[in-house]
Amino acid sequence: MDGPLNGIKILDLTHVWAGPLAVRFLADLGAEVVKIEAPYGRGSQVFPSQPIGGWLGGEAGEEPWNVNAVFNKLNRNRRSVCLDLKQEQGREILLQLVAVADVIIENFSARAMPAMGLGFEVLKRANPQIIHVCMPGFGASGPYHGRVAFGPIVEPMTGLAKMLGYEEDKPMNTAMALMDPIAATHAASAVVQALRKRQLDGAGGYVELSLYETGVAFNGPWLLDTQLGETPVCQGNAHPQMAPHGVYPCQGEDNWLALACQTEVQWQQLCLLVDGLDNRLTLSRRLQARQSIDETISLWTAPQEKNAACELLQHHGIAAGPVNNAAEMLADEQVQARQFFRAFERFNTPMPGNPIHMPGLDPEQWQPCPDLGADNHSVLEQWLGYADEQVTTLHKQGVVHDKPPT
Amino acid sequence: MVYPYWITKQTWKTQLTDEDLVNEHGHLVVMDKVLEIGGYAAGYCGKLFAASGADVVRLDRGERPPAWASAKAMDLFLHSHKRTVVSSDLDLLASLAAKADVLICETNTADELDQLGFDRCKTPVKVALTPFGRTGPKANWRASASVLLANGGYTHLIGEPDREPLSLPGHYLEFQTGALAFTAANSARWANQSTQIDLGQLETLMSLSQFTTVRWHCAGELRSRHGSDFWFVVPSQLFACADGWVYLNIVPAFWDPLTVFLEQPELLIDPRFENNDLRMVNRDVLHALIATELAHQSTDELLRKAESCRIPLGVVLSFEQVLADPHLQARQFWQTLPVDNSEPVYTPAYAFLQGNALEPGAKRGVSW
Repeated sequence: MDGPLNGIKILDLTHVWAGPLAVRFLADLGAEVVKIEAPYGRGSQVFPSQPIGGWLGGEAGEEPWNVNAVFNKLNRNRRSVCLDLKQEQGREILLQLVAVADVIIENFSARAMPAMGLGFEVLKRANPQIIHVCMPGFGASGPYHGRVAFGPIVEPMTGLAKMLGYEEDKPMNTAMALMDPIAATHAASAVVQALRKRQLDGAGGYVELSLYETGVAFNGPWLLDTQLGETPVCQGNAHPQMAPHGVYPCQGEDNWLALACQTEVQWQQLCLLVDGLDNRLTLSRRLQARQSIDETISLWTAPQEKNAACELLQHHGIAAGPVNNAAEMLADEQVQARQFFRAFERFNTPMPGNPIHMPGLDPEQWQPCPDLGADNHSVLEQWLGYADEQVTTLHKQGVVHDKPPT
Repeated sequence: MVYPYWITKQTWKTQLTDEDLVNEHGHLVVMDKVLEIGGYAAGYCGKLFAASGADVVRLDRGERPPAWASAKAMDLFLHSHKRTVVSSDLDLLASLAAKADVLICETNTADELDQLGFDRCKTPVKVALTPFGRTGPKANWRASASVLLANGGYTHLIGEPDREPLSLPGHYLEFQTGALAFTAANSARWANQSTQIDLGQLETLMSLSQFTTVRWHCAGELRSRHGSDFWFVVPSQLFACADGWVYLNIVPAFWDPLTVFLEQPELLIDPRFENNDLRMVNRDVLHALIATELAHQSTDELLRKAESCRIPLGVVLSFEQVLADPHLQARQFWQTLPVDNSEPVYTPAYAFLQGNALEPGAKRGVSW
């Protein structure tokens, strides 16, 4: 696929969300990605219930492991090799692949790769120039390195839960596992930076990042304020430097719009639209009077259709937008105009696109997520020179698979 | 207009010496020169470049967008390893851009980007950061992070079901956009390509969405907000304990160890909780049971038990507690920054590190 990373070979051993999302960005930038999957990596042959994002096409079908919507969303532009790393032969094949790859990326627990005899020193012996990016939840060292980590439990440890909520003393979690996409973007950054370093000094290396540290890093300004004598506090939808700033009710059930006055000009414009606002209020007075201002704005928004109200506010140069659910996001005229969602997967399922637009990146070239083990033959033949019969033998021996074992 | 001495004389070297070109290993080093203009997305992108060894100059046009922290904290966090020029002179912008390898330019609208002369800048790699992207009917809509979080489906999912949705405090959106801008620009530099990149913050958000759109399209179900409850995995919720709050996220593989953690092995054979689907049906009963069990225990006790039972449990920490966290300290996570006339402060260092944190030679970030 075209793109700046064309020619880079990545072995993707990631799972769940943070790792696959990181690799999706790299694949969208043109890297050649081979996903190394465990035989049960996509679940078993029988699924006890519908996966969290549903099935592509709405039904499990005969191969439910291949139509998990979330898995497909995260794993486009890859080839799939299903390799049993619990077997010595499987590990040997992985090391052969490492020998001809540029990057191996995984988000197992810190002890998983060394426990399989696939720690960085072993990978480096196979390929001294290999870049190994690992993403254990709490990192590979330190007092918490053995703890089990998922995005939702790491999030409150970063301090964010104290800032999110309706009132102080009642923390809240986003329940969206925000630490995963933060780690994902930084893992993608780490891979590219490691490639640039290797371009200069010829050396590969071991790069590590954790969900916890990437999440804490995002709260840097609050952590600094804490040391500078300020006390960041939870303020609901209010903002410490903007008023009004909030989410306001609109016509219908659970319909809302977000509005923010970033400048004095915007405030003056808002006062022209909304009866009862005092255009003489300075920012500091507005911050003090935010509750009554919010009540006045709510009276104005409540009978209005949210999109029409936002159009009107935007016409006056005021930052405002509808609170969209998933269906509304997909239907948004801006999203449609820029064709952000692309229906290239089976059943024309719209998938989020790549926010990076640059010449040479063409979504028309995107390949849907491959079936489990769909590329066992082609990858082992093209990358390692295996004969077709050799791969067939490996399949019979249970070293490679093309569906979950029964 | 009076410019600082160093910018009028020589900001970036045009004649590199052998010493500049070769690193300690004898390999060629050419440090990127990055020009950064704009708010907190550009600032975060520039921060990543600076931490990677680039020479970053920030052109401060005198406009400071509202922030979630003080100006001092924002500057310390984002701009500590950069040089700054204060000017709104477009000729100076063009002149600096012509010397730079990478131009990161963030504006409030697409038109504003044009007015800065972005397309005319002669920089090999140019990144345009705007709220909605450079094209489309909303390219010139005004936006705050809260407006984009609302448009992009985040706000709808945060908060209690019977109350107004909550916007996300902090600079998640801007920093994520900055991180992607860094990856895109650095990829182009790696490939030695001259290129122009269009990165919209709304699309950044939507590219990071969890499963909301596929769930709608494939299962016909709209995801909604449920407070701190992740909802689809039970239990995944905040629970009050004796001295604070903890979050449990018990994906099915951790159900059995949870019963050990709760010291209630009988739950294993309780038909109400046999699998995740049944635990979803009986969510309230299970939550009440756990809440009762955890209420009298301290966070320290719960953490110790969670670690020994190997279940995913996190504690709600204050910023003071994060700063004192022994794990982050052991991993040399904090970087010391000098502050005028007062004690130095700690800022998060680069989130990824080269080598093992506890081994000699390990360093934060990947740079040369």
